[in-house]
Amino acid sequence: MADDRDQKKTFFRRSKSCPFTGENAPNIDWKDVKLLERFISERGKIMPSRITNVSQKKQRELANAIKRARFMALMPYVQIETDNSRRR
Amino acid sequence: MAIYETVYIARPDLSTKQVEELTKKFSDLLSANKGKVLKTENWGLRALAYKINKNKKGHYVLIECETDAPTLLEAERLMRLEEDVMRFLTLKLDQPTTDESAMLRGNDSSYDKKEAA
Repeated sequence: MADDRDQKKTFFRRSKSCPFTGENAPNIDWKDVKLLERFISERGKIMPSRITNVSQKKQRELANAIKRARFMALMPYVQIETDNSRRR
Repeated sequence: MAIYETVYIARPDLSTKQVEELTKKFSDLLSANKGKVLKTENWGLRALAYKINKNKKGHYVLIECETDAPTLLEAERLMRLEEDVMRFLTLKLDQPTTDESAMLRGNDSSYDKKEAA
């Protein structure tokens, strides 16, 4: 159980620098749901940057992208806990 | 003239052909007045994260085009009127995209590539 948690979530893994800075860093795109999913909680909330280490500038960009994805029903506004299957 | 991307969600009970027709209709609109369509992507019938108009699924289509603002506004107005379109989002892009969007790339997210490297 601990294993699949590690894969899905970034709760414990603290990278030292912003995941969106530096070469090779992914672009923040509202259509890239797989990427955005890493930055929301199990409830579907946007994770605070103090946990994910996203820089302030990128955190604003990220929040915008997540909100766009939510509007287009690519991501949930709220995830209900009983609903275990994470929908894409 | 600026570059825009429009993604719309069509009702799930449309057939693939009807979705294509709808896409063609909007593409023609957007390419009027010297505009041009740069890219069209059909993401197919996808499950929605929450219900929209009591529907659980929807056909997603992306159109990337270069057009002027009045044409775009007109297209947006018609999308609002179109009953088969449940929702749409239009964004201005700084530059045209070169690759297919993240949605069609599937598993290969750019984040994974970074971790593998």
